[in-house]
Amino acid sequence: MVKSILIVDDSPVARMIMKKCLPESLGITIIEAKNGQEGVEKYQQHQPDLTFMDLTMPVMDGFTALSLIKAINPQAVVVVATADIQEKVLQRVEDLGALLTLKKPPSKQALADALKRAKEALAQVRS
Amino acid sequence: MNAMVEEIFATEEKDILQEVMNIAFGQASADLAEVIDIFVVLSVPNIQVIQGRDLPKYLLEEIHSSGLVNIIEQGFLGKFSGQALLIFPCGAEKVLLNLFNQGAEAVGGCDIDVDTLELETLMEVGNILIGACIGKIAELLQDIVTYDPPRLIAQDFSLEHPKCCPIDENSFAISIRTVFRFEQEDVEGYLFLITNQRSIEWLKKALYAFLESFE
Amino acid sequence: MIFDQIFETINSGLIVLDRDMKVCHWNRWMAMHAHIASEDIIGRSLFEFYPELNRPHFLRNCKAVLAFGHFCFFSQKLHKYLFPMAPVGSLVDHFEQMQQSCAMGPLRNEEGGIEKCYISVQDVTEVVLYQKKLVQLTMTDQLTGVYNRNFMESQLSKEIDRCQRYQHDLSLLMIDVDLFKTINDNYGHPCGDFALKTITRRITANIRKTDFLIRYGGDEFCCILTETSQQDAYIVAELLRKSIADTPFEFKDRIFSSTVSIGVAGLNSDDKHLECLLKKADEALYRAKQSGRNTVT
Ligand SMILES: [Mg+2]
Repeated sequence: MVKSILIVDDSPVARMIMKKCLPESLGITIIEAKNGQEGVEKYQQHQPDLTFMDLTMPVMDGFTALSLIKAINPQAVVVVATADIQEKVLQRVEDLGALLTLKKPPSKQALADALKRAKEALAQVRS
Repeated sequence: MNAMVEEIFATEEKDILQEVMNIAFGQASADLAEVIDIFVVLSVPNIQVIQGRDLPKYLLEEIHSSGLVNIIEQGFLGKFSGQALLIFPCGAEKVLLNLFNQGAEAVGGCDIDVDTLELETLMEVGNILIGACIGKIAELLQDIVTYDPPRLIAQDFSLEHPKCCPIDENSFAISIRTVFRFEQEDVEGYLFLITNQRSIEWLKKALYAFLESFE
Repeated sequence: MIFDQIFETINSGLIVLDRDMKVCHWNRWMAMHAHIASEDIIGRSLFEFYPELNRPHFLRNCKAVLAFGHFCFFSQKLHKYLFPMAPVGSLVDHFEQMQQSCAMGPLRNEEGGIEKCYISVQDVTEVVLYQKKLVQLTMTDQLTGVYNRNFMESQLSKEIDRCQRYQHDLSLLMIDVDLFKTINDNYGHPCGDFALKTITRRITANIRKTDFLIRYGGDEFCCILTETSQQDAYIVAELLRKSIADTPFEFKDRIFSSTVSIGVAGLNSDDKHLECLLKKADEALYRAKQSGRNTVT
């Protein structure tokens, strides 16, 4: 079960779109952070089930935030959301331990798939 | 974003515009990498609204290059219309020619001098970069754009020169600036998209339509 | 209906290709100039007929159009042409192939998907010819047909920069006709013009294609010898001097002789610009004149 989601993105519109695309199910708590540093802090504080991570952000970018979150919790389930899906970017986030990469702008279907993958990953961690 | 942006765009419009540009330039990087097989990094686009008469001064401030530059201009025409200005420091054309050396095996050409080869390559590369960025903006906003051929409007040009890009002094321009870098090579270029008042009304509507598409 | 007619009658080439580069449409202009009938090419791959297009640069552009909806422009200056065709009419005298400006763009279906692309081909041979003539006019001396000072200033400084960068040899000869004024005074200006033309002809015959001869001033010429050391340049200069001094000039029953003095300068690593080299050659020329003309220094 995914009960809490942390959305890290500097763009308020990107966070809004992400929320709009999430399936409406009661009981999911959404936490927002507007840069990588805030994201890491909020991760530590709330330990969300799933984190959506933007890459290009001021203060601290998504690559750094991702690796810091993975350092806090190697089992953290992080989905990277980016428009720039160059081979090299995909490779780098995979190496840093992201579960998968979501192409921006996300579609409802793509988000539903990502959630499904996240649930599977969480189930594995918990079992 | 500067003060004039606030005058023209409501906060929400401004935020949507920024995100649309983030996505467009991000996707453009990915497309470019695939088309030209080179890792391209585009910086987060910076959006400004500028009075026509201030544009030369603005360009000079934005491009922290005291040296000479080459400027490529390309018009784009759709509901979103305007001019793209691609600015490279002089010398970049040599690096680009090496990167894109396939251009050298053009069918008819062998008697081309190096200068022409470099500048023409610069224009072809420019067309690819400009097309990738504008094409994505158009796609996201459900517009279809056509392009004029790229033109080299200034060669070995100093930005300190007062009249560097002729746009109507009294009109204002939305400038969307990105710096792009080719990873293996130390080349930086600046892309400015200058659009006019007429495009703005349409742009506002298109921004809301973009947001509503996620409902 | 109307669009079909325009497609067939427009004065440029229009081709429609599908995603596999198979020809879907081939207009009459293409059929006429390429000598390939549309019924022969439609349904077949463009590369069957134009295998030379099947190369990375062209394919890259196809990908940009078909995958990403870009528009591509094939610079005439870079490519000259995409489809080999004979130039129209008297332009055959100037070009082996029609010069073309080509563009490629996406064609979308109703859902906005890119199913096909078009290529447009425009004959720009005449424009290219005018450009060439214009460049020639601004770069050459009208009397003698050799390069002029304008050329030297715009092109040669670049050449010198290049030699400096790659440490290649380059030498410059400053050539001055001795007592040219007396030829004009004694035999008239037409005879003076004749002498200048003859001198340039004799110099041109003795230098290589890669060297440059420039009419620098009234009776002053400048000769740039690429890949030539100062010692070798001296030998060339001596050859040029003799070619002019040894054979008398003949103009309308009149026979006279003329000589030149030549100053030689080789490019050193400390010569930053064309001006430095010119100054050295000028000084050498002055010494040649001092030592009694018809000499090389
Ligand atoms: Mg961002």
